[in-house]
Amino acid sequence: MAKNHNIPEFKAEWKEGEQGKWGMAIDMDICTGCNACVAACAMENNVPFVGEEDAGYGRGMHWIRIERLWEGKYPEIKTEFQPVMCQQCGSAPCEPVCPVFASVHSQAEKLNVQVYNRCVGTRYCANNCPYVVRTFNWFDYDRPEPLNNQLNPDVTVRQRGVMEKCTFCIQRIHKAQDQANSEGREVFDGEVQPACAQACPADAIVFGRIDDPESRVSKLAKQGRGYKLLEDLNTLPQVTYLQGGSHVRNG
Amino acid sequence: MTEKNMLLALFQEIDPAAHAVDKLRAMGIDNEHVNVISGTPITEAMLGRPHQWTNVPRLAMGGAIGGLFVGIFFAFGTPALYPIYVGGQPLFPVPPSIVVMFELTMLGIMLSTFLGVFLDARFPSYSPKVYVPEISDGYIALLIDCSPEQEEEVKKAMTEVGAESVKTAEVQPL
Amino acid sequence: MSVMAKPLAHAHGHEEHDHEAELRKEHLLLDPKPRGEMNAMVMDMMGGTTWKFWVVAAIMGALVLWGLVYSWGMMIVNGLGLAGVNQPVYWGLFLVHTVFWIGISHAGTFVSALLRVFKAEFRRPFTRAAELMTTFSLAQAAVMIFAHMGRVWLAYWMFPLPNQRQLWPNFHSPLMWDFLAINTYLLSSTMYLFLPLIPDLAMARDRSTGWRKKLYSILALGWRGTEGEWTHLRHALNIFAFAILPIMFSVHTIVSWDFAVAMRPGWSSTIFGPYFVVGAIHSGVAAVGMVLVAVRALMKNMDYFIRPEHFDALGKLMLIISMAWAYFFFNDFMVQWYGGDKWTDELLHFHEAGKWGWIWFLMLICNIAVPWLTLWNKTVRRTPWAMFIIGLLINVGMWAERFIIIPVSLSINRMPFRWGDYEPGVEVPIFIGSLAFFILLYMLASRILPLVPVWEVQEGQMAHSIRKYGKEPVVTVSDLE
Repeated sequence: MAKNHNIPEFKAEWKEGEQGKWGMAIDMDICTGCNACVAACAMENNVPFVGEEDAGYGRGMHWIRIERLWEGKYPEIKTEFQPVMCQQCGSAPCEPVCPVFASVHSQAEKLNVQVYNRCVGTRYCANNCPYVVRTFNWFDYDRPEPLNNQLNPDVTVRQRGVMEKCTFCIQRIHKAQDQANSEGREVFDGEVQPACAQACPADAIVFGRIDDPESRVSKLAKQGRGYKLLEDLNTLPQVTYLQGGSHVRNG
Repeated sequence: MTEKNMLLALFQEIDPAAHAVDKLRAMGIDNEHVNVISGTPITEAMLGRPHQWTNVPRLAMGGAIGGLFVGIFFAFGTPALYPIYVGGQPLFPVPPSIVVMFELTMLGIMLSTFLGVFLDARFPSYSPKVYVPEISDGYIALLIDCSPEQEEEVKKAMTEVGAESVKTAEVQPL
Repeated sequence: MSVMAKPLAHAHGHEEHDHEAELRKEHLLLDPKPRGEMNAMVMDMMGGTTWKFWVVAAIMGALVLWGLVYSWGMMIVNGLGLAGVNQPVYWGLFLVHTVFWIGISHAGTFVSALLRVFKAEFRRPFTRAAELMTTFSLAQAAVMIFAHMGRVWLAYWMFPLPNQRQLWPNFHSPLMWDFLAINTYLLSSTMYLFLPLIPDLAMARDRSTGWRKKLYSILALGWRGTEGEWTHLRHALNIFAFAILPIMFSVHTIVSWDFAVAMRPGWSSTIFGPYFVVGAIHSGVAAVGMVLVAVRALMKNMDYFIRPEHFDALGKLMLIISMAWAYFFFNDFMVQWYGGDKWTDELLHFHEAGKWGWIWFLMLICNIAVPWLTLWNKTVRRTPWAMFIIGLLINVGMWAERFIIIPVSLSINRMPFRWGDYEPGVEVPIFIGSLAFFILLYMLASRILPLVPVWEVQEGQMAHSIRKYGKEPVVTVSDLE
């Protein structure tokens, strides 16, 4: 019987690096809330448009959202913007509850992967996600001509009844890894940029190998400004938020 | 026991039936040659007959063990065949396995008890048998297998004790 | 068939006889009729169907077609978007109704198994009526489970069978435990319904002609009632009665774990297991009361078998179970209220003062106030229409409890930016369809299956007698098993 030394009986025994490979650092002090990351993610990953009415009823499909946090009253308001996407938890609560293993932890990329063609749509994973980052295909969404030309051929289009969420643009990770392999080298830091990181005009989203202490994302994560969302839930998220000053902290 | 040349004595109450059993034993017709058919369950002790054995409890135990093995296979065998890591939990998690093993053990008990009744009672059986509809109206029937010489004697004895009727048993389709 | 003890002294009168006559009128098991007559009464119940019956059945059939075939069909073709669920309320009325129907299913097992184990003789005439409720309500629960799935045509992937893709389901998931537990319970209750039915099917076989005789002959499996057959059956029933109790407890506990193992405020409660089991029994016993009132009013000869004494006993049970429910509810509520976790505080406030606050109050009134204010009174307990209304209100209260636990609690989470609201959609016609389906199945079963287990009633009558204790005629029960 296979024993994975990466998962001892108790999470408390996990060593740093065993928890994750790819991670993000998001600087809330430079995020302007422009939503370019939201748009880029939707374009890259074939996220459907649901229409105004459904969007108002909480049926929006965006994989990343910008949360607006503010303190104080007008005109002395301090605002902050926090992009929230799937935290790719090392100990993801969405994984054990799926009855058909559609939400699993990939051992290679150490990400939480959603297997679209296995999902039967019980939506338990979405209920158990404390970050509320999972979205569901409530209908088969139309892309009337010529919108269908915008589809990214690297990413599948999901059927109704299937759960989806941010994948850290795993298709770009694989493309970079394939490129690096064919050139006989490792992926260098900064070569892989998910759509959100690529689109951000302020360079607030940094992506890279968190198991490599020399990578830019690891160095940023170790700064004193870093914190994780809902850290006490012990989900071991792989996204670090950088926030300075005396602003409102979420959670 | 071929069910030919048998006598069927019908009783309405339990006491005459019990006396009848005694009388038959006194006449040399032992318990093996008498069968009791009734519309409500009558324990053997009420009629002074030997304990009736049944395999159902043993089959239930067997089913429990079978169910437990299936449960062990689901909880520990399937992750070995198809190892997937979820939620930071170990591949062979103990608490969920207990749930799975419990449910399948119980299912094993229930299925094997149910099928045990079928097996022991040889159900379903649609061939014609000795039966009269009065039995489901609450009568107690004694099915007596005796030699042709004893027939008259038995008939007399049963009528004496209070049988409603004594006649030759007829095989009929059920 | 019961033995009447002679009074010890000749001090007469009709006082004693009156008292005895009263006892006989009150208690079915002291008022025996010849078995043949009871058989005829039960067979009579199944016949003589009036046109009114068929009108109601047709209406139910139409509701089933509209709710389950058309509405559900539309949802399968178009997507879950026709329902009211959204982000973050991913589970709504489908799950509420799943838990509701499984709760009602505990009625049958409670009556036929728990009361049998405790030798509560009053269960005898209505065990089958209760067990039928279990089988049919589990069918509705299955409808609701399938309805909530996004890709229901792939539901068979949850079946643990070897397949050519070499995939197995995930037994870490409470939904797979649900799959095992609910299937075990469904199979067990159906088998437990069928086994004691066999002797009554044999009786029906002996007393019918035509297509009925053919049907009963096949289903009765050739039962005659020999010593051997009774022995096997009795042993099986004893095993079933004892073994189905842990199954009953485990089923609703596992259903409660769908919520309790999740890390949501309000859901992650360690008391959910017993809380849900007691809640299920609460709604189940109340539903049995409702069904018995209906069956007694609508079926011939039922008023011989089901008497005010049965409603009296059920009513006392309902009161006690309501107290148990209140205990578990308060346990859960008090601990959350006192603990002061920020998100749980928000949730409790939303429960009481939010958009659905009136449902929270309705739950408390129907589950606690209604039983506690009425069921202590003997006259109320013995009045069938009052018991029907009380049972209905308790079921409304339990429905409200599940509504609060599922969609209302899901509205609040640890990310305020993603708090949301819930408005039911196609779940409503699908529920109406399942309710009509339940009623329709029950109506059809009442035409085909003998609804009263006559052999068990006769067994009980054989075991009961009146004897004189001092000067008072008292009921005695012998242990004939």
